[in-house]
Amino acid sequence: MDLFGRILMVEDDPRDRELTMTALEEYNLSNEVVIAVDGEEALDYLYHRGKFTGRVNGNPAVLLLDLKLPKVDGLEVLQQIKSDEKLRMIPVVVLTSSREERDMVASYKLGVNAYVVKPVDFHEFVNAIKELGVFWAIINEPPPGSIKKK
Amino acid sequence: MAQDKPPLARIPAALQRYGLAVVSVGAALGIALLLGQYRFRGVEFPLFLFAIALSVWYAGIGPGIVAVLLSSVAFDFFFTEPLYTLYVRTSEVPYYILFILFASLLAWFSALRRRVEMALVRSRDELQQEVELRTQQASLLDLTHDTIFVRDMNHVITYWNRGAQELFGWTAEEALGKHSRQLLRTVFPVAIEEIERELLRTDRWEGELERAKADGTAVVVASRWSLRRNDEGIPVAILETNNDITQRKRGEEEVLKLNQKLGERTTELEAINKELEAFAYSISHDLRAPLRHVVGYAEMLEKNASKVLDEKSRRYMTTILESAKRMGILIDDLLAFSRIGRAETRQTLVSLDQLVKEVRSEVAQETDARNISWKVGALPELYGDRSMLKLALVNLISNAVKFTRTRTQPQIEIGCAERPSDGVVMFVKDNGVGFDMKYVNKLFGVFQRLHRADEFEGTGIGLATVQRIIHRHGGQVWAEGLVDQGATFFFSVPSQRR
Repeated sequence: MDLFGRILMVEDDPRDRELTMTALEEYNLSNEVVIAVDGEEALDYLYHRGKFTGRVNGNPAVLLLDLKLPKVDGLEVLQQIKSDEKLRMIPVVVLTSSREERDMVASYKLGVNAYVVKPVDFHEFVNAIKELGVFWAIINEPPPGSIKKK
Repeated sequence: MAQDKPPLARIPAALQRYGLAVVSVGAALGIALLLGQYRFRGVEFPLFLFAIALSVWYAGIGPGIVAVLLSSVAFDFFFTEPLYTLYVRTSEVPYYILFILFASLLAWFSALRRRVEMALVRSRDELQQEVELRTQQASLLDLTHDTIFVRDMNHVITYWNRGAQELFGWTAEEALGKHSRQLLRTVFPVAIEEIERELLRTDRWEGELERAKADGTAVVVASRWSLRRNDEGIPVAILETNNDITQRKRGEEEVLKLNQKLGERTTELEAINKELEAFAYSISHDLRAPLRHVVGYAEMLEKNASKVLDEKSRRYMTTILESAKRMGILIDDLLAFSRIGRAETRQTLVSLDQLVKEVRSEVAQETDARNISWKVGALPELYGDRSMLKLALVNLISNAVKFTRTRTQPQIEIGCAERPSDGVVMFVKDNGVGFDMKYVNKLFGVFQRLHRADEFEGTGIGLATVQRIIHRHGGQVWAEGLVDQGATFFFSVPSQRR
């Protein structure tokens, strides 16, 4: 596993991870991605804990966050990030199956930077992921303290 | 003449009063002289005294003095020697003085007696008035149907009005003199000592009491007590008014019970609603994910293996993809449909005119290529949830667009059918394929379709959504149609703000 990611993807479903990686590969963004399989791992990465102890310093340029996660769910991760002085500047994009308004409202209330519903249609899905990756990892100027581009 | 008047009334005019004195003395003189003719001697003295007394009694002190003087003169002139002169012999002077003194004493007594009598009469009259007033008040208290009774500080009933008789069933004769608590078997809500403390402190008490009627049935009364004190401030009696609140009490208990039941039902419904919401949420999350995987992996497989797949296998792939996509649409529509039932409506003034314009521009992509003739009438404003009403119009208008696809000259008419006093009735009419009125009841059901999927695409949720939206606005939906002659969909929305 690459420990020097600029995109932190938090996704528990291996199929969704594969589909997302496939989409990112098309723009050669896949080697920028670090994967956390649940909320706890995501926080471990951000706080240099557990298996991420001793990783290179710096925050990811963007965090792709699923909402429905085992152990610590997406909204809890989001809340933790946005209430931590060192982490709150990380752009967080919620990437979820849920079109439910209450998830959307809760995320925006917690200060999410974008909310994307995963389209069922594969082409749309690939396009959405590509655009996300390109925008946040390439076009957007990440906040100071982010991991530099290789 | 005095006899016609009330016994103690004085003669009002001075002339008459002094006249009475003169006439009385004159009459006494006349009678004495007349009796003198028949040798009755010595009657003049009492006659003159009677005339004086009469004058004082009926005419007062002044005329009394006049009567005394006149009597003295007449006595001297007619009855003392020498007769018919006013000359008084020295030997007669004490006799005169005695007469005048006696007459004056009589006059004084008469006046005194009169004053006493007057005072007596006055106090008797006052007493009578008081008695009348009290009687009147007591009968007034009997007029009211409110229960009023009075008891002394030993709880012995001293007054019992008709209302009390009506409520408790005991007559005044039965109740008076009885111990109120024993008679009425009163059940107090709090300790009686506490009530008495409050009564003595504030002079009043109010509360609900349970009491027993003469026939033994229980009655709940709203009771008000007022403490009466005498002039020294010592409590002497308690006046109680009672109102029968048995019925109200029973009603309150019933309402309480019903409220409890309602509360339970509400909790149940809330639980069901929560379950439904959790269900919809889980569909939204968990059902879409595997579907996305089916589509995603099928796409990737198609991409990787398209070279090795034959025509038949490629068609299988396409079918898998189409079916999965269709299921995605179904899930989305179903969620939207269930959301309408769960979401709160936000009422604002909505311009139907504006809404129709927006919807038409949304379907423009599909309609631009076709030569649809639109006819949109004047549309009113109404109170409703804007986004929901728009969704209803999107469904109705896109249906009209869809089902006129086979027409060479498609026509869609949107307008206001009528303006009933209490709302708006709007219609969307097309000259499309229409439907058989036989199946009109199936039109608005979920997943009900009157056309095959290969004729006209659709999930069968659109009209069900329309119906649910309009029902949530308190309105109705209905449709008219003929096969191949087009269809008209109506909906009504009451105008009052709900």
